[in-house]
Amino acid sequence: MSPSPARPIRRPVHAWLAVLCIVLLAASTASGARETRQVRIGFVGADSSDAMRGASQGIDEANAQGRFLGWQYELVPLADAAAARGAEVAVIVADAAPAALRELAAAAAPSAVINVGATDDALRAACLPNLLHTLPSAAMLADAEAQWRHKHADSPATARAWHESFRKYAAAQLNRRYEARHGKPMSDVAWAAWAAVKLVSNTIATSDEAIPARVHELMRGDIAFDGQKGADMDFRDTGQLRQPLLLVDGETIVGEAPVRGVADPGDLDTLGRGACAK
Amino acid sequence: MRTAILALLLAVACTSHAAGGRVFVSNERDDTVSVIDAASNKVIATVPVGKRPRGVGVSPDGSEVYVAISGDNAIAVLDPEKLEVVRTFESGDDPEAFAVHPNGNIYISNEEDAKASVYNPRNGEKIAEIEVGIEPEGVAVSPDGSRVIVTSESTNMLHIIAVPEHEIVANIVVGARPRAATFSADGTIAYATSEISGEVKKVDVATGTILGRMPLADDKAKPKDVLLSRDGKRLFVAGGRANSIFVLDADTLEVLDTIGVGKRVWGLALSRDGKRLYTTDGVDHQVSVIDTESDDVVATVPVGKFPWGVAIDD
Repeated sequence: MSPSPARPIRRPVHAWLAVLCIVLLAASTASGARETRQVRIGFVGADSSDAMRGASQGIDEANAQGRFLGWQYELVPLADAAAARGAEVAVIVADAAPAALRELAAAAAPSAVINVGATDDALRAACLPNLLHTLPSAAMLADAEAQWRHKHADSPATARAWHESFRKYAAAQLNRRYEARHGKPMSDVAWAAWAAVKLVSNTIATSDEAIPARVHELMRGDIAFDGQKGADMDFRDTGQLRQPLLLVDGETIVGEAPVRGVADPGDLDTLGRGACAK
Repeated sequence: MRTAILALLLAVACTSHAAGGRVFVSNERDDTVSVIDAASNKVIATVPVGKRPRGVGVSPDGSEVYVAISGDNAIAVLDPEKLEVVRTFESGDDPEAFAVHPNGNIYISNEEDAKASVYNPRNGEKIAEIEVGIEPEGVAVSPDGSRVIVTSESTNMLHIIAVPEHEIVANIVVGARPRAATFSADGTIAYATSEISGEVKKVDVATGTILGRMPLADDKAKPKDVLLSRDGKRLFVAGGRANSIFVLDADTLEVLDTIGVGKRVWGLALSRDGKRLYTTDGVDHQVSVIDTESDDVVATVPVGKFPWGVAIDD
């Protein structure tokens, strides 16, 4: 096509439109009103599982945050690794067996997969590039129990990621919210799934972008997430979320790990610090 | 003319308030308020107020002291002369922190309901309710009263609310678990503490832009209350488990000084003349009194169990 003679006249119109658009955009941003952007979070796991309930709780809270910032979150159930391929999700929350998680991670890349149901240590040591774990590993739980036994030889206690009677650090608020919505106490897996979604929404709120690879990269950075457990938590190179644990005897919380007097309470790496298998 | 008016205002202010004034401290585990005589730094009364007292504030004319009694879902109103509770009014679920507006109304965060509510403390009437993020906590009112900040802890946000419209005009994402905020004298800048990320953020209120961030070096810091000096040049931050007050340059956020106080310091209040800073040192059950010229602790005053909030009527 030959250059149109009308072009020099049209250009100022374009420039004028561009200015108008910028002004309108600036005005809409300043007034707080903006277009709502959708974020799809994949979910692999059983329908009425604790993982599903925890993830749904996370979605509720992500939307409570997102409505102020123009983000709307939706949980998208995915049957398996095949369904994850090309699912256009920002991240996948998964309650599945170790072998299925490995397949899922391979299929979902570059989206991150967050394991909320498996404590398997080998899965952490595998250091898959896009697999994260909010549920504590078996080694972390074992270390917490060993620390406890060191101080209280006569009192066996079980290490847990979460407990329904946990109250400190606004844990009581989360337990109340969860029980009110689901009619049952929050389990470890439910907490891990809630935490996974909350991490994603916090990352998107801070960065104001939801590109899957970017969400994953930022989640691996300095996230300062407390998970209502009062600590500044982040991910290890293995993909495992560092976190304090609870020691429970029967139905009573008897302590927190790292156990004061045995380990530095601020050093979360005293619990199951694993390395990548090479 | 302006000088004459100022002089008149000062004269009124100085005659209507006793020299030194009184410091009111809520004791969370004792269900009482300790009243400290600011001139002698001695407790002159311990007043039973209701269950789990936390936030404390003084009416603009100094005639009433308000105490959030979280366990009773109410606000207790104290007469600062008689030193007794004269009435209480319901304030929504679990009131914690609140701020008194220059028009006398109080702005309260209702943690369980993800709401902020506005009450007229003279008749206990609820004026407005504003939906905010999850676990709202700190509340601050701009000096001219046109803006209120509510921090939501689990949503990591400062909500900027316009008054009298009671509409949110901006939401600013800050560090993890924002606990408290304060405005600059002209209301254009706000400072907020984040407990888990252990930092102070400085924000432009109109645009929501983050102007600066200062992580506190002590990783036990868990900062809570925050206040500006009267000249607006220095920022005081209660360091929580760092057992110190951090003094920051309000412009650059550089840490200028660290003042050691008692354990688990949470609440702060500044005297009208800006010369004395009072801190509640929770685990040590005491109030520290700091001379803001030398940054020295000049007195520690034993109060009730787990002092939480502090306010001055001077």
